[in-house]
Amino acid sequence: MAIRANPKLIEELEPYGAEDVMKCYHCGNCSAVCPFSEDPYVFPRKPMRHLQMGLTAKLEGQLDPWLCYYCGECSDQCPRDAEPGETMMSLRRWLTARYDWTGISRLFYRSWRWEFGAIVLVAIITAIAFTLFGMSQGSLADYDGPNAFLPSSAIHIFDWALALVLLAFLVSNAARMWWFTMGRDKTLRMSAGSYLRSLWLLPAHFFSQARYGQCDRKGPWVTHLALMLSYVVMLVLIMFFLAEMASGPEIDWRVHVLGYLATAGLVVSTILFLRNRVKQSAPQYRHSHESDWIFLVLILLVALTGILQHILHRSGLDVAANVTYIVHLSLVVPMLVLEVPFSKWSHLAYRPLAIYLARVRVTALARSRQSAEPARGAEPSTPLRAA
Amino acid sequence: MPEPRTGVFICNCGTNIAKMIDCDAVAEAASSMPGVVVARSYKYMCSNPGQEMIAQDIGDHGLERVVVAACSPRMHEPTFRRAAETAGLNPYLVEMANIREQCSWVHDDGVAATEKAEDLVRAAVMRVAHHEPLERLSVDMCPNTLVLGGGIAGLTAALELADAGKLVYLVERQPGLGGNVARVDLTAPYLDSARDMLTDRLTRVVEHPDIDVMVSSELVRLDGFVGNFKATIVVHGPEGADEERQVDVGSVIVCTGYREFDASRATHLGYGKLPNVITSFEFERMLRAGRIETKEGRLPQYVSVIHCVGSRSEDFHGYCSRVCCMTALKYAHEVKSALPRSYVSDVYVDMHAFGKGCEDFYRRSAEVKTLFLMYGKGDHPVVRKADPGDDCGMLITVDEQLSGETIELPADLIILMVGMEPREDAEAVTHLVNISQDKDGWFIESHPKLDPVATTTDGVYIAGACQAPKDIPDSVAQARAAAGRILGKISKGKLEIDAMFAEVDEDRCSGCRVCNEICPYSAIEFDAAERRSHVISALCKACGACVATCPSAAIKARHFTDAQIFAEIAGVLG
Repeated sequence: MAIRANPKLIEELEPYGAEDVMKCYHCGNCSAVCPFSEDPYVFPRKPMRHLQMGLTAKLEGQLDPWLCYYCGECSDQCPRDAEPGETMMSLRRWLTARYDWTGISRLFYRSWRWEFGAIVLVAIITAIAFTLFGMSQGSLADYDGPNAFLPSSAIHIFDWALALVLLAFLVSNAARMWWFTMGRDKTLRMSAGSYLRSLWLLPAHFFSQARYGQCDRKGPWVTHLALMLSYVVMLVLIMFFLAEMASGPEIDWRVHVLGYLATAGLVVSTILFLRNRVKQSAPQYRHSHESDWIFLVLILLVALTGILQHILHRSGLDVAANVTYIVHLSLVVPMLVLEVPFSKWSHLAYRPLAIYLARVRVTALARSRQSAEPARGAEPSTPLRAA
Repeated sequence: MPEPRTGVFICNCGTNIAKMIDCDAVAEAASSMPGVVVARSYKYMCSNPGQEMIAQDIGDHGLERVVVAACSPRMHEPTFRRAAETAGLNPYLVEMANIREQCSWVHDDGVAATEKAEDLVRAAVMRVAHHEPLERLSVDMCPNTLVLGGGIAGLTAALELADAGKLVYLVERQPGLGGNVARVDLTAPYLDSARDMLTDRLTRVVEHPDIDVMVSSELVRLDGFVGNFKATIVVHGPEGADEERQVDVGSVIVCTGYREFDASRATHLGYGKLPNVITSFEFERMLRAGRIETKEGRLPQYVSVIHCVGSRSEDFHGYCSRVCCMTALKYAHEVKSALPRSYVSDVYVDMHAFGKGCEDFYRRSAEVKTLFLMYGKGDHPVVRKADPGDDCGMLITVDEQLSGETIELPADLIILMVGMEPREDAEAVTHLVNISQDKDGWFIESHPKLDPVATTTDGVYIAGACQAPKDIPDSVAQARAAAGRILGKISKGKLEIDAMFAEVDEDRCSGCRVCNEICPYSAIEFDAAERRSHVISALCKACGACVATCPSAAIKARHFTDAQIFAEIAGVLG
């Protein structure tokens, strides 16, 4: 069955960063040098070919872009400067937009003005709403206690409500990812057993990012792991121990230590990433999409306003601390509401999910091959192994 | 008759001969052969001391014949003939015995090889006794040249010769000069205008006092031989008023070019059925007119270029037409520049970007976002009309090799890169000027690497795409090479012709004309009045075909007489 080529697709991908893909003449050096490229996930060459020809359905159905960690070896080796690494990155942005059923992601990736404007708008709404809420609840002069401007109990409820909304977006987008890559592929014979047996890959890869660690260049993985773990620690502290954090000098020492560590991790890792992008120190930092900058700057600002708020409160400057809190929330809310489901941050869900689905798919492929050739060995060698 | 005084010189060729053959033993054996007065073995006979030894012995021993047992005569026969000549001996009284290629190199039994070398030397000694002193012929070189074809090769060759002050007759079958290059817009890879390039040449050719241009003309007869041809040309006038001209020329350059493959033969591409499937030459016309559009007058959104139409295919021509790949890339640039919103795709087999600047051109074509789709050799894309809902006029189905997928590619305008093939009159030309065609119909050069513009007929040269598909730079290079060869001969003034050729004993000739047909060089003419055949010695290559064929044994090849050959056989048999 012939597949219709769509020569216009490359233009659609350009705003996502795939500007050089047409230079590729398929020598295959990129796939040869990639430590992850293994049958049946042969990349970057194959997805690049599909992109050149505009095979939208094929690209949508691919897990390959998520299996790439952009170490940049492929771009270094490319004789045509076709930037295979950046093409894979662009495909991840494009796939994020395809998975997102609201269309917001597509809007953000194609126009930084929309993304920036939305962030500003949400920030303003957040600031006004929390200021009005605070004024109706307590006094600007009080950071904690019964008369607190933004009492932690109220914020806590807000946090959980927000988390549920975000989860709903993420889960629905992830479900679409499953449908594109696995669900609608009639040739695959998946069993519930294989889904269950591989389920452990999800948390394992979420927390360890072990696959990233298999790249030859370890630096980016370490920085990335630090950023992610710091963020998770902070998230746990906020979601479960917000009251303990906001209270005065009697903060539990464990919360204190973890909070400082996580904050330091966030600040250091985002600054490192920003420095790399400014200096364009490696292939993966040479091309920065607007969404990359917005993401890093937002996290850094959130961390810095969090620190400032803490310092001001501990110094007894409660009014300044409350104002900073409003600013902090005005950054946190758009960061969570806009970045997690609709922009770069969504990869926190798609990456582990892709590794998991890729393994299930390999098992299914082996099963169908096995039923076609019963003489062959029963247990498939699974190229997509866990670390 | 006493045996002529013969000297035998055995070359060791360093160790090439000496490691397998006992050269001193051969010299020893030779010294007792009939007529041999001196026999020597020496390390390198072809070296200066070796040659001086031969010359010295000719004088000292009054040698009448010389035998050199060494390498193949193809290698050093001219050397030893010159050595004999310096000592006053007719060069044709030298004979070589090949004891290297045909003996030491191919045997591993030293004793047997030495015996064989003795047999070969004896054969040479006995043969050389029957040699006759021969004189080389010298003929005048007519400085005029006939150039067939007024394309880029013909124009270039004509200018090169005429600028050197030599008269050129330029014969073009078409009413106008310029050939296929005149049908092209820009040229790859530097995108300069073919018209500009040509206009300059055309003006100079037409105005040149030493170029006699004949358009609407054709060569109908070429008689004579190198340096002394007589060409008969018919100039077609209006309303059948033909004029016949006879001109004297010393050389002929054939630059008759090519014709394009008939795209309708590749039925799967829809040429002739779908109006927006056009050939590269039709597209060139569109480019020259300055508007790229479909037959319906619309600007095409999808432009597709299909490579290798008629070339590199089992069904049509197996060879590569060499210019189409870069021309196709040129179209990508021209279309993108004229219609920036269009999508250009190239459906190709292999990208042949071998020329200077071409790989870079290929890269730049990718940079303007050309989509390249590769199909397999032996396969072919199929073009069909699009369905009503499609945003394109046609669809190209191709088994795409770089993805392994069967792809349907949208197209509004399809350009077929038609290959080159020999012109329909190529065979007639070969008969006129006595050259040959290869299996594909291209004219054959004398040597594919070392003598690429000469032919097996002395004085007849080939240049440009009549020899094989080639681009403008290669055609121009060949044209200048041919002109250079001819100027070299003209500057010498006289042509020396080898003394070895066949002769007809006209008393014994029955006039059967079998030899006329058999001669591969058309060197035998028939005197209809006398009913006798006659060999044109300047054309004869002494191949011996006529000698063996003649039913009356009336033809003798000089230097290959029956007596010489029988003596050689007697010698080798001991």
